[in-house]
Amino acid sequence: MAAKRKPERVSVCIVGAGASGATAAKVLTEAGVEVVCLDKGPHMRAGDFGGDELANVNRYYLWPDPILNPRTYRGSAGETPVEKLFCPVPQMVGGGTTHWTGWVPRFTEGDFNPRTIMGDVPGASLADWPIGYADLEPHYDHVEWELGVSGQAGANAHEAPRRRGYPVPPMPATRYAQLFHDGCARLGYNSYPQPTAMLSAPYRGRRATVQSAFVQQHGDPSGTKSNVLNTFVPDALATGRLDLRPESYVHEITLDAEGRAKGVVYQDADGDLIEQEADAVLVGCGAIESARLLLLSQSGRFPNGLANGSDQVGRHLTLHEYTAAIGVFDEPVYGWAGGGYVSAASLEFYAHDESRGFAGGCQIAAAGAGVPLPINFATPGTPVWGAEAKAADRELFNHTFAVGVLVHDLPQETNRVELDDGVVDAWGRPVARITHRAHPNDLAQARWTVDRNAEILEAAGAERVWPVYADRITGNCSHQHGTARMGDDPERSVLDAGCRAHEVENLYVIDGSPFPTGTGINPTLTIMANAWRVTELVIARSKRAAEPARAGSFRCAAHASARAAIPNPEASA
Amino acid sequence: MTRFFDEHQHETIDAAMARIIPSDGGPGAREAGVTEFVDRYLSGLAFIYAKPDGSGFLELRGRSAQAWRRRIGALRQQYEEGVGELDRRSGERFGAEFRRLSQEGQDQVLAELERASSDQEELQEEKATAGYGGAAQPGLQEPATETGLDFFALLVLHARQGFYADPVYGGNRDAVGWRHIGFPGPASMAEVHSGEYSTLEYFAAERTDGR
Repeated sequence: MAAKRKPERVSVCIVGAGASGATAAKVLTEAGVEVVCLDKGPHMRAGDFGGDELANVNRYYLWPDPILNPRTYRGSAGETPVEKLFCPVPQMVGGGTTHWTGWVPRFTEGDFNPRTIMGDVPGASLADWPIGYADLEPHYDHVEWELGVSGQAGANAHEAPRRRGYPVPPMPATRYAQLFHDGCARLGYNSYPQPTAMLSAPYRGRRATVQSAFVQQHGDPSGTKSNVLNTFVPDALATGRLDLRPESYVHEITLDAEGRAKGVVYQDADGDLIEQEADAVLVGCGAIESARLLLLSQSGRFPNGLANGSDQVGRHLTLHEYTAAIGVFDEPVYGWAGGGYVSAASLEFYAHDESRGFAGGCQIAAAGAGVPLPINFATPGTPVWGAEAKAADRELFNHTFAVGVLVHDLPQETNRVELDDGVVDAWGRPVARITHRAHPNDLAQARWTVDRNAEILEAAGAERVWPVYADRITGNCSHQHGTARMGDDPERSVLDAGCRAHEVENLYVIDGSPFPTGTGINPTLTIMANAWRVTELVIARSKRAAEPARAGSFRCAAHASARAAIPNPEASA
Repeated sequence: MTRFFDEHQHETIDAAMARIIPSDGGPGAREAGVTEFVDRYLSGLAFIYAKPDGSGFLELRGRSAQAWRRRIGALRQQYEEGVGELDRRSGERFGAEFRRLSQEGQDQVLAELERASSDQEELQEEKATAGYGGAAQPGLQEPATETGLDFFALLVLHARQGFYADPVYGGNRDAVGWRHIGFPGPASMAEVHSGEYSTLEYFAAERTDGR
């Protein structure tokens, strides 16, 4: 068989077609830029999805199969790592948005100055962000309106300023959302409908969300969830400028003689190795896999991994831990309706308050207890087999919901992603080794907040309440941040404020990796808004550099921009 | 129709499943067809993923098929050894095979197996990850993995899967599991796939307080 032809050089190569990669692909292609986007996994479509908890939750239909994609985990550098499916995210076109429920709150203004607000927390590596809320606000707006987000501006008393409301009204209230509102109201807490990437009303040719029970961890067969498969990917493909190549596993990012990213080497579905050259490379594989790819991309110039002269790649990994108080009600609450996450939330405990004895705070929100069936959920204190277990299933299923927390995992320099030195994946490449131990602050925060949640359930009329305390951070939310921090100091960060590598002028990381801190709020909307911001910088930089040569030619641009001290118009002081 | 289990294994697993989800107060594991559900699962790669419209099963290929072959192979071994373990404990305690014991005797043997399982500290985390039997957990935000579960934990997890998963997988016959808990599930997977299945009628009534 003849060798495959090397593909033509392209303006931009994006690695990963998830939340951030699809955002970049849309913004670039709609601005006239030719893009190749590679994704390790398949390009599934609505017809590939259905209501099947067994396949989706228990059998890795969308989750990465741990036999093919192992990771290893240890609590500290002294421990022996064990193979573990640690903090997985679907690895396919659409990424985490493929199976999400789509809670998409914005960050608050204070989220960008955590070091200033919380001060010096011993053991933590808190850092202020090099950008502020105002830098992201226009892009939050872009994403909300292009994606189609349901929400109610002004309902959240702690909301940051926004230029306008949401494109569609908030989702209709579930019974569990309404009970959460009732409990909060009785205690004097503000609560609001959770902004959600689903359609409460028809929008841009898509109909309103059907409210299936099979939502969380399921793909969307109806096309009514606002994930990138239904929106940004088709938008980018419609321009004719996106060459989307699924089932393309990137082995490494290569360098040219000048130390710029030359392109990537990937393995296609046939197993052939292919080099794709590009003027700029954007990495959006999720904070764990993006760090792994940089670390795998070793060269004479970067023996410890690409853009890692500072030894900062992989460090400051932050996650979220989901834990909850669970309430049982006499009345039916149907915690599975709408999939269990058509919900209400509160930021009443979000702002830092020293008097609580811990730093920071986290979002709380109501949710069902299963996804949706009682296959993968055991009620605390109930036997797991026999007549009593069977009776408990019947008594609890329609009468239970949870008020959950997203624990804000403080960054620590030793919580990190490295390459494992023993375990390889199905492609023969070393896997990510996670070293992570929760800061005592986070466990105190989780405990305190779960107790508040229990009070809300009681105020809402729960007859029984179980607090479930986290005793560690397992990464059970798929939320990953840190690992390639953005910052102004090249010694202490991997990327500049525009998410361009300090050491490689045409390399960008656009997912959660640049986040200096993890916050206590779902990250994906902010990941997408930031990817939008960074992509506009990529385009602006190239256009500016191209002006004397060929206007509009991106290709010349990236070269001409070499070491040009272009002021970053979006970065705040 | 037996696919992986021989008659002895089938009767042993069926007896155990009937104690894990008994038939008192309404249909249990036996009526739901839980043993057939497990038997299909262990039979090979033909019943791993239902087609999303419920019209059959997907054919696994490539790396996915390799991974599942390995996984099913390991599960088969666990079941073969687990049946032996049930009989060994039954023999020591009662001098008979597990399938021949009274319900009370079977409960005692299962309780003994559960105690042995709970004593294994290192299994607690795996059970929590499976969403069962370990530390109490709210609805998980991550996959429930069977990796590392011991036989007792597997039995319970598979009993729950066979009782509550979509009937297309061979268990939850006539939706007896869903009826037991009052879940108004879809008439078939096709109803979800076509975007017709909705739970909107189980949402809150229109609010009157203006919120």
